[in-house]
Amino acid sequence: MKTPLETRDLAHRLLTYEAVDSKTSEPVESVAIRVYEKLRQCICEFGGVASFQPLAFRALTQAKAEAPGLWAVQIAADGSLQGLGEFDSQPGEFEPQLGSYKDQTSEGGVVLVARILGLLLIFLGETLTFSLLRTAWPGAALDDRNSGHGRKA
Amino acid sequence: MSTQDKVTIHQLPTGVPGLDEIVGGGLPEFSFNIIAGAPGSGKTTLAHQFVFANATPERPALYFTVLGESAIKMLRYQQQYSFFDPAKLPDSIRFINLSQVVLEKDLGAVLEEITKEVEKANPAVVVVDSFRTMVRKPASDMDLQSFIQRLALFLASWQATTFLIGEYAEDELRDNPIFTVADGLFWLRQTAERNSIVRKLQIIKLRGQDSVPGLHTFRITDAGVQAFSRTFGLTAYKRNPPSNRRLSFGIPELDKMLDGGVREGDSVLVAGSSGTGKSVLATQFIAEGIRRGEPGIVAVFEERPQAYAERATSLGLDLDTPQKDGKLEILYLRPLDLSVDETMHSILSAVQKIGAKRLVIDSLAGFEMALSPGFRADFRESLYRMIFALTGIGVTILSTVEVDESFTEFPFSTYSISFLTDDIIRLRYVSIDGQLRKIMVVIKMRGGNHAKDIREYEITSAGVVILGKRLTDYQGLISGIPVRSDQHGSTEEPSLDTGIEHKT
Repeated sequence: MKTPLETRDLAHRLLTYEAVDSKTSEPVESVAIRVYEKLRQCICEFGGVASFQPLAFRALTQAKAEAPGLWAVQIAADGSLQGLGEFDSQPGEFEPQLGSYKDQTSEGGVVLVARILGLLLIFLGETLTFSLLRTAWPGAALDDRNSGHGRKA
Repeated sequence: MSTQDKVTIHQLPTGVPGLDEIVGGGLPEFSFNIIAGAPGSGKTTLAHQFVFANATPERPALYFTVLGESAIKMLRYQQQYSFFDPAKLPDSIRFINLSQVVLEKDLGAVLEEITKEVEKANPAVVVVDSFRTMVRKPASDMDLQSFIQRLALFLASWQATTFLIGEYAEDELRDNPIFTVADGLFWLRQTAERNSIVRKLQIIKLRGQDSVPGLHTFRITDAGVQAFSRTFGLTAYKRNPPSNRRLSFGIPELDKMLDGGVREGDSVLVAGSSGTGKSVLATQFIAEGIRRGEPGIVAVFEERPQAYAERATSLGLDLDTPQKDGKLEILYLRPLDLSVDETMHSILSAVQKIGAKRLVIDSLAGFEMALSPGFRADFRESLYRMIFALTGIGVTILSTVEVDESFTEFPFSTYSISFLTDDIIRLRYVSIDGQLRKIMVVIKMRGGNHAKDIREYEITSAGVVILGKRLTDYQGLISGIPVRSDQHGSTEEPSLDTGIEHKT
């Protein structure tokens, strides 16, 4: 089952926001990793590693079926990602018609983040999920629902 | 020291309907409280309600979760309650999970982590859910009691009102040093009574103010925890002085028997066997009140409000219009697992909403059946509290009660509650001239005169109609099997018996 377009779109916006943000800071990690890390930190803060780690593991299992580029990636006991060599430091070019990225490695990062977001939406609902995301990305406009898919890119 | 020199302890709203009354107005600010109870008793929900009622962006709430329930799942469920305002997250309410610290370190590290977060956020409210799970980790450098003491001292200094949540069984209450540290101890109980669940709340301890003692029932609904005080929320009310005003039944002959009507603020019992017209009489009482501009409440347990109103229509009494006009409420109280306190809350809310002057409880048997089995044992005591509370605020109560017809006795009630009532009207069948006819007699009228007459009545399309004169041709009417006496004739006017002084 493919990631719903709305969560892909949201994931893409987080990656784009993070990529833009990284120009002003020291980009030592890939954009996807940094998005993942921010998610991990804010979820661990309120829910603990015990809440985040199984959630991330489930998201990765789902994402691997959709993005084979993630085959080597694993979730550590503390919820961090391992085997991240496949990720680019910047997201690839987005194909609006396909709703995905041209290159597979960037696509993997988006799919994984989208899957985590999807699980958060299922468990916490939209309001609390966006509340959580605003904690991690205080300056980002994330829940503008005027776009064609419900959220503006 | 004069009262002016005393420090003022501000009270915070608990966010739990009914609980402010129980704790004596609100929760003392900066108090250190423990909510204890078995799993599923509503501890977390109660704490959430307090948090959502008091947290602001300027003085937020920190909600520390430890082990046990997943925070994600907790929020998934808690957001279903109507008090849960997601807009308060994360600026006003922050959830922080300490499970990793608990698992990897000791209680000292947990205290350090809480201290760090409190210093950073300057919270008005701190919750640790559940602190009990921390003690299960063996070989801590700091024992739980010491942890609690240091935490209490620290949070009081930071002007935070605190709740610690812990799973405790009933027998752990005694001699537990942890509870001595707390300013407030809230105990939530949940017991199964046959097929019903009964939830009760007790404020075992609350420093600095008077709380209402005893066990208070509570319910968990879509709105969260709702508590029902044993004092029915009436501690702020003053009892009305006895009134001499008479309330009419709208049945002139009966009013005469009552020396002008029921005294305002009285509790009236209409007792009789099935089909004697108790409900009809009650309906006429309420309808006459509405006609005279006295709003009324009818609490029914055995039939739906619509059916009740339709039956009134068949007697020529319109109960639909006053319902639409806010002059009448017919309360259908959900059967099988009610507490008296909960019923009282519904009735009192309705009384206050429409300014009711008359209340009909139809019937006491139905009321008893609607209660959870555990509450039935206390039915008389509960009725006493309810009647005392309602009549105290000037409401006149008419209760109907079914009694088994006996031809050797003349009982007033199966509940032995006649002492609770000011006035008793007894209806019964008698066998006369090959017919089963009905008679009515006023047994008791506290503090007033009433007729001694035994009157025959019929139930017609106009309701209860008292027939002509008192029955003088028969003896032994109250036995139900009278014999014709030699004396003939009758008296037009009811003869009045002098009652005793009205109760105050």
